[in-house]
Amino acid sequence: MKAFVTRRKRPLAVLSVLTVAIATAVAISVGGAQARSSADELKGAGATFPAPLIAAWQQKYEAAKGVKVSYNPIGSGGGISAISNKTVDFGASDAPMTPDQFKSCGGCVELPWALSATAVMYNLPGLPNNLHITGPIIAGIYLGQIKKWNDPKIKAVNKGVNLPSLDVTPVYRSDSSGTSFNFTTYLNTVSRQWKSQIGRGTTVNWPAGVGARGSSGVSGVVSRTQGAVGYADIAYSLKNHLKFFSVQNRAKKFARPGLAGIKAAAQADRKFNPQSNELSIVNPPGSPRFAKAYPICTYTYVILRMQSDKANLLKPFVTWALTSGQQYGPALIFQPIPKYVVIRGKATLKKVHS
Amino acid sequence: MSVAQEPAAGPAAIQRRGRFRPGDAILYVVTCAAALTGVVLLGLITHEVLTQAWPAMQKFGLGFLTTQAWGDKGNTLFGAKSFIFGTVVTSFGALLLATPISLAIALFLSELAPRWIRSVVAPLVELLAAIPSVVLGLWGILVLGPFITGTLGPAIHGTLGWVPIFSTKPTVGSNMFAAILILTIMIIPIVSSICRELFVSVPAELKDGALALGATRWEVVRGVVFPYARAGIAAALILGLGRALGEAIAVTQVIGNRVAINKSLFDPGDTLASRIAGQYQGADTALQVASLVYLAVILLVFSLIANLAAQLIVRRVAGRHQV
Repeated sequence: MKAFVTRRKRPLAVLSVLTVAIATAVAISVGGAQARSSADELKGAGATFPAPLIAAWQQKYEAAKGVKVSYNPIGSGGGISAISNKTVDFGASDAPMTPDQFKSCGGCVELPWALSATAVMYNLPGLPNNLHITGPIIAGIYLGQIKKWNDPKIKAVNKGVNLPSLDVTPVYRSDSSGTSFNFTTYLNTVSRQWKSQIGRGTTVNWPAGVGARGSSGVSGVVSRTQGAVGYADIAYSLKNHLKFFSVQNRAKKFARPGLAGIKAAAQADRKFNPQSNELSIVNPPGSPRFAKAYPICTYTYVILRMQSDKANLLKPFVTWALTSGQQYGPALIFQPIPKYVVIRGKATLKKVHS
Repeated sequence: MSVAQEPAAGPAAIQRRGRFRPGDAILYVVTCAAALTGVVLLGLITHEVLTQAWPAMQKFGLGFLTTQAWGDKGNTLFGAKSFIFGTVVTSFGALLLATPISLAIALFLSELAPRWIRSVVAPLVELLAAIPSVVLGLWGILVLGPFITGTLGPAIHGTLGWVPIFSTKPTVGSNMFAAILILTIMIIPIVSSICRELFVSVPAELKDGALALGATRWEVVRGVVFPYARAGIAAALILGLGRALGEAIAVTQVIGNRVAINKSLFDPGDTLASRIAGQYQGADTALQVASLVYLAVILLVFSLIANLAAQLIVRRVAGRHQV
């Protein structure tokens, strides 16, 4: 019976298979089209680091220009993937894209659009905020060599503080993160062992501690674990009431991740990377100009496709963010970007067209 | 389609041979296409995964399996050893914990519990399977983690600290032990519900016969129920194992994501699926992407082996029954 039916209806079978295949293809392409944003809305995704500032921008920009901007803080790595896969109109990342990432993005440009600092947070009940720490100590903790809070090295820079004999648990980002990039870039500059064994990147092979997803994951583990150390953007640690260190800079001064410290650090690098527009302001020199500098600061970047259907909306928005938008930064511990960075940004923006 | 225009097909219509009946043909074609889709999809996925992993397979070869590294030497060296270790330890650990619990649940619900308890508890246990893994992971972070560091961990380490797998005190809630417990919770509903169905299907005559011969409840279970359902239990366990092998999100939330092989379950580690879920988005280099997909290839092979093993066991045990 079965064989009988098959033999007779074969042409029909082929036709039906084709119909199913075409219907599936149509369904998929329609779904893809719907996933892209509607006409007067800009969609972005990426780093959690600039998310508070972008949230402020969304509100102000929609009120001023009537253009809706949505932003999904999924992490720098996610932002780079999203713009590469054309699922968003702009991506955001704290780490400049690597040459490999530029290649897979296919016709993308990147420019710095905000400036802030990475705070090193800790959970030590009963002890005050802004304890002192140095770069080599942070590296020692993340290398697993400094294991107790009453280690002589930590005691030496915190005279008069009664540090407990508690285990130090370093916490890091397990996902691809620009904050990790900023943090490991810093560790690279303060520890030769870190540089030769671990290196810098959005993901590295952490030799000690535990990983957690996203800034929220890291600060969550830090706040639930006594003796933990973690890192996240300063706006995030402030919002979540976590204590953070004053970090010693190369002028041997202890600086907090505040606006003054970021502003001082931002004088450091004026040479843009020709492809990614990267400016590295991590651990600036020890000269008096940088006496107030906080050593773990970073620019954070926006990534655009040079050929974008939304160019007519994107360009005004990014220009606004580079200029008028900067005034909303200081309330969220984002230092307005220097003028030469704005000029460079506007020049890069000229490459974007519809 | 044209199905609606067909006259109602009664028994008489089926009797009339040779008449053109589009309904049957369409049914055949649609079901056949659905079955083929499965095969084609599996082929396409395997092909795609192999293509994407090829650069890493070429560069590292089989040495990838025995290298413990991730992004070492300036982001040029990758290896799967610690992830394979983590996957095997967490999956089999979870299976070890889940097996007795699941069998007990299934026995209670099929043999021992009064009817009204069965009708309440059975759906609730199965509902455990409906909890999205990301929610279970969150619960793991917020409740299970602190419970392990605060209560369970110190207690186990205090009494069983001489056993290597409990040799360190958990300082933080993210560790392999937490991952094992989360996976246990995930596979219990699968294994227990399948086993319950199996136990219910044991013919009543066999059980009655054993009871009539003076067997106790436990002897009936051991001598009749378990042997009768043996093949099914094995298959259920392997299904559970497959679930544990592939779980990514809940594990990545609680395991601590460290490239390390630690004796103690209270230390962090990582699994194949968890590493892929954590880092595929926004990997720095093409080689890192390829290495992540290489991990996926290994995971695919693991799952394939688990499924084949399940089929083999079922066939062997079922064959023995017929003799």
